[in-house]
Amino acid sequence: MSGIKRRQILASAPLGLAGAALAGTALAPRNAAAAEKEVLIGCVYPLSGPAAQVGHDAQAALQVMADIVNGNHAIPMLMGKGGGIAGLGGAKIKLIFADSQNNPQIAQSETQRLITQQKVVAIVGSYTSATAVTISQVCNRYQVPYISAENSAPSLSEQGLTWFFRPSPTDNDFSQAMFDFLEAHAKETGKPIKSVAIIHENSVFGSDSARIQTGLAKKAGIKVAADISYQASTPSLQVEVERLRAANADVVLPSSYTSDAILMVRTMHDLGYKPKAILAQDAGFIDPTFLKAVGPLAEGVMSRSSFSIDAVKSRPAIPAVNAMYKAANGNKDLNDLTSREVTALQVLADALNRAKSTNNMALRTALRETDIPGDQTIMPWKGIKFDKTGQNIEGNPVIMQYQKGEWHTIFPVDVATATVEGSF
Amino acid sequence: MVPVNTVLRRRRQELILGGALLVVLAVLPLAISSDYLRGLIVLTLLYAGLSQGWNILGGYCGQISLGHGLYFGIGAYVSTVLYVDYAIPPTLGLFAGAALAGLAALLVGWPCFRLSGHYYAIATLVMGLIALLLVNNWDFVNAARGITIPFRHQSWVALEFRFPNFPFQYVMLAYAALAWIIAWIVEGSRWGFVWRAVKDDAVAARSLGVRIFPSKMAAAAISGAVVGVGGALYAQYVGFIDPDSGLGLSLSVLIALPAVVGGVGTLWGPLLGAAVLIPVQQLSGAWLGGAGNGVDLMFYGALIVALALLRPQGLVSLFARRPAKAAEEAHAG
Repeated sequence: MSGIKRRQILASAPLGLAGAALAGTALAPRNAAAAEKEVLIGCVYPLSGPAAQVGHDAQAALQVMADIVNGNHAIPMLMGKGGGIAGLGGAKIKLIFADSQNNPQIAQSETQRLITQQKVVAIVGSYTSATAVTISQVCNRYQVPYISAENSAPSLSEQGLTWFFRPSPTDNDFSQAMFDFLEAHAKETGKPIKSVAIIHENSVFGSDSARIQTGLAKKAGIKVAADISYQASTPSLQVEVERLRAANADVVLPSSYTSDAILMVRTMHDLGYKPKAILAQDAGFIDPTFLKAVGPLAEGVMSRSSFSIDAVKSRPAIPAVNAMYKAANGNKDLNDLTSREVTALQVLADALNRAKSTNNMALRTALRETDIPGDQTIMPWKGIKFDKTGQNIEGNPVIMQYQKGEWHTIFPVDVATATVEGSF
Repeated sequence: MVPVNTVLRRRRQELILGGALLVVLAVLPLAISSDYLRGLIVLTLLYAGLSQGWNILGGYCGQISLGHGLYFGIGAYVSTVLYVDYAIPPTLGLFAGAALAGLAALLVGWPCFRLSGHYYAIATLVMGLIALLLVNNWDFVNAARGITIPFRHQSWVALEFRFPNFPFQYVMLAYAALAWIIAWIVEGSRWGFVWRAVKDDAVAARSLGVRIFPSKMAAAAISGAVVGVGGALYAQYVGFIDPDSGLGLSLSVLIALPAVVGGVGTLWGPLLGAAVLIPVQQLSGAWLGGAGNGVDLMFYGALIVALALLRPQGLVSLFARRPAKAAEEAHAG
């Protein structure tokens, strides 16, 4: 008898799961009623697969910001006072994470689940642009705000979506900042930049970056002396580096992931080629692994970034937030991605506070009226203010330089902590 | 030797069972109010159809392909490009996608069917990877950035819906039913018998006068076309296609998996496999994936291993009539 029972239970295991899902639907409204003082926010990130590390870091970063809002840490920034969301009677933020597996279809169905089953008031995500496309479309259909924390593909805010908000700069802004910096620097030294050499890995990140840079160089009247693409997993960059040497440009602009950035800088050293200046598109060049691998060879390398951890004078909240993040995530410092994730949740918390309601229309109106001065965040931006596509128009990136074993912000001047070194 | 009229009777029974199931599945969506569960049904039916398509070549004909993602991707990309760039609705575009996917299957088959066993499987795998690399760098189809299908207006012709889960249950049901009926037809056709002969013993079949190569090519073309239709529908459902989600290696495995778990070379295997695998995969991800510790994937993997060990003939064998009874019937017939 008991044997039969056990077999029946085993056979019905998949059905049990489905049953659990159904039960979840039935229970959701009751839960919401029981705990009125909780605001549910859905977070969709890759938590398994090759991009899982980024997703786990995002989990830690978002939880830190939720703790800041919910707890009592008295951090000198907007929503840093703690004690929950005042506008909602001190309601606490509760994050619900979903694994996108970095797959657009799974991101889509998980977002649907968070919205229809868990009744989240907004979605935060999602690292890769492929998943952001489907998440932002689902959010638009169900009329739930999507706060894009660190997706940088410009096309996302050009889809005509009305529930999309992106505090982060886009790839266009990033490359623009690099050329702004070159122009300002040339003015200061009186030596115009005549040519650049673009070298990029050939996936979506590198080829988009190169395309935008080529356009900006043309606009600025700077000659593109070389445009070299390679595969990130390549075992050798000798030919590419020789071509860079032959081009002999004033500035080399690499868009590389970690292992190829290491290979590039080492090959330059081995072949005895020292470019006048290297101005990198973030990514591999600011990865701590890169610095560990090439050591002193990285001295003088510049990179754009959307975060500058040393800008503590103008952004007083950084040390406290960074300390919390470090404690939560294996002693890692906040970086370009995690800082933007913290800020995305800050923007959402501020909007909820002003909306004084979790109603989707009220929340969207509040998001549209967002106006946060830069010094109320941990970002080096002028501020956060959305245009009608949902894109932040005050999120200017920074340029950093690796000097004497540390990254220092060198541009724009108002958040700079060091002056440019080098003779380009 | 099973007498002919028994075979005919069994086939008629299967057709009746299939029709009854179709009616049940057509009514089921009306009883479900959760949009998330509707999405689950959409995916399950999609994979049932895709895997049935794979089953025609991989199951009935015994040519194990690990490159069916290629045909899926061709179907998806062709219909999407036709729609986004040339305003040809996907209900027409999917025929073009299916035709080109079938053609691609012939092109892959032409050199590769000269290989046998594992060599054929590896060749299909490599073909899929080559296509992935090419599309990743092909600017005409937006390279690695992928193509977004913007939502413009509610339309059955363009298969565009503000809330696609409900209507797509019927779209995918039609697709799964189409794939099933194609499999049912070929199973009883001359080709079906030839394929099973080729699968059992290619040399013996050839010595009896079976022309192996053309029969394999026919299976490949039908199989590729069916999977191509699924790709076109998938792209329209998700609203976005990029090289990884349209042509990735894992996709080729996901297409084959329901048929393998459910029962290779059987009419009901792919549907049964999809009905178990897709809900378990999606629900375990939904309930355990948020923790980010991979428990959901371990659970899913363990399930597949367990099924493979306990039911190597596939889930469909759970429903098989007892051999003694079948033999008895055969005698009586």
